[in-house]
Amino acid sequence: MALIELQSVTKIYPLGNQEVVAVKDFSLTIDAGEFCVLAGPSGSGKTTLLNLIGCLDQPTSGDVWLDGQNITQAEQKTLADIRLNKIGFIFQSYNLIPVLTAAENAEFTLMLMGIEKNQRRNRVRQLFAELGLGGLENRKPSDLSGGQQQRVAIARAMAAQPAVILADEPTASLDSQASEELLELMKRLNEEQGATFVFSSHDPLVISHAKRVVRLLDGRLVSDQ
Amino acid sequence: MLYQLALRNIWRNRRRTLLTLSAMIVSSALLILALGVFSGMLRDMLASATEQYYGHLVISSKGYQDDRDMFRHFPADLSLDAVLAQDAILGTSARLRSFGLLSHQQNSSPAELLGIHAAQEKLVTSLQEALVAGEYLADNDHNGAVLGSGLARRLNVGPGDELVFVTQAADGSIGNDLLRVAGIFSTGDHGHDNSLVLVPLAWLQSVLVLPGQIHEIAIRTDQPLNAAALAQRYKSNLPDSLEILDWGQMLPEMREVVASYDVSRMIIVTILYIATGLGILNTFFMSVMERTREFGVLMALGMKPAQVRSMVLLETFLMGTLALIFGVIIGVALSLYMALVGIDLSGTLTPITYAGGTILPRLHAVIETSNIIIPAGCLLLISLLAGFLPANRAARMQPVVAIREE
Repeated sequence: MALIELQSVTKIYPLGNQEVVAVKDFSLTIDAGEFCVLAGPSGSGKTTLLNLIGCLDQPTSGDVWLDGQNITQAEQKTLADIRLNKIGFIFQSYNLIPVLTAAENAEFTLMLMGIEKNQRRNRVRQLFAELGLGGLENRKPSDLSGGQQQRVAIARAMAAQPAVILADEPTASLDSQASEELLELMKRLNEEQGATFVFSSHDPLVISHAKRVVRLLDGRLVSDQ
Repeated sequence: MLYQLALRNIWRNRRRTLLTLSAMIVSSALLILALGVFSGMLRDMLASATEQYYGHLVISSKGYQDDRDMFRHFPADLSLDAVLAQDAILGTSARLRSFGLLSHQQNSSPAELLGIHAAQEKLVTSLQEALVAGEYLADNDHNGAVLGSGLARRLNVGPGDELVFVTQAADGSIGNDLLRVAGIFSTGDHGHDNSLVLVPLAWLQSVLVLPGQIHEIAIRTDQPLNAAALAQRYKSNLPDSLEILDWGQMLPEMREVVASYDVSRMIIVTILYIATGLGILNTFFMSVMERTREFGVLMALGMKPAQVRSMVLLETFLMGTLALIFGVIIGVALSLYMALVGIDLSGTLTPITYAGGTILPRLHAVIETSNIIIPAGCLLLISLLAGFLPANRAARMQPVVAIREE
């Protein structure tokens, strides 16, 4: 069974008196364990698709299925539960909580899930070791480099072992070396732990690392390789 | 972690938080002080009306307090133990009253003479504390007189001088006798200072030809503001010919002043806290607006709207609690200073007689629990109310829209 399934999805945003079609009649299936990138220029609908898959937005028409559950018409509370339990997010500008330390940021979703403190600490310690963040647990985000912050964001996304990790332009704020390291890391997590990754990016470096590239243009599917 | 997050969010903009906190602390501390001073003023007024003259409760023949008819007297040895032996009663004083003409050499003035037992009267009223010359009546004084400063000035007398009192006695004769000025009091209440004279009870009984008779028993209780309820409770134990009145019945204007105090207090609290509340609201709205993107991220990570609302409310609650602690400490410290030391304004102001009481020219506070609990409770409430709107805004954000905010 597919992990993610979009069936004839259309998303239209109102813009003043006009309407903008961000995604039109789009269908896509992604299986568990994939390392997939949604590629395309700005305005092609990559982020909109990630938002729809990530339960942050709902389609104007069509259906979105995640892990066997139709989330198209789900209520906000249900969507929040799905986001917490099944989805990990990695944002372009890291979006760590500035008042929390790196370790606290990473264990935040576990805390929301009600997981006991020792268990949280152990999980984060293990993740930090795997991601090369050992020794940075007590640093605030402002004391970390961009690459380190994005690694903490990955730790946060992976902490709860979600069904899928969605990354919106994860390398956009990093230099080429940090980007390369990050992609290698995510690839390793995908291969070793079977974590499913779905990216949006127009960065050739990211696209070159992907096992599957879904190209979009003006909200439509152009190619799927 | 929600608590930790809220606490750290408060301190992320230290300057703004400290400014808001100081506004909350200052407003609650000043309010506690203002209410304390206000209560002090009220207590002074009530004390001037009751503890200088009336007492908190008075037992007298029915109708006597309406017309002060000399013939509405009752025996001083009437057994009233069922009423007077109550725990709430701190002191009682049997009195006889007469109105007449007081003279010294060529000067004369109408006066109200109150026959008392000095030792008893000291337990009910506090005129002995208002002496400005001479001494209070001694227990065995035969014909001493303690009179108000205005009356003494008009008669041009001082301690040791002789006075002549003339009035109508109960047997129809003209009662007159000599008095010797023992002391002069000044209460600030023009009515008492210009006409009241305390004399020994036995002397006045003799002049009025009313041996063993009194007009009233003044009572001091430990619950002056509860005097009406006490009067109601003691009433059933009195003989039919007597009645017991509380100070509110003798001084209805003063009762209104006390009643209006609670309204005034709530108006002051409301005005001050509306201003403080708007300040807090402004701060928290700014804090929430600044963090729009962050709230979007928190919700994207799976935080539920109710948790976001709780977090923002927790921030306001923590700030309110912090302000409350410091506000109460500072407010109580200032009130204590004003209670123990106060500010004397007699150099620039004179006493004002109002509604049967006297507003003394001094700023003096009393510590009352309600004057601390009301500002503290209202501060916490207003913090939560002011936090509710921004908390609701944060909780209603659409994560996808919030994350896009710059």
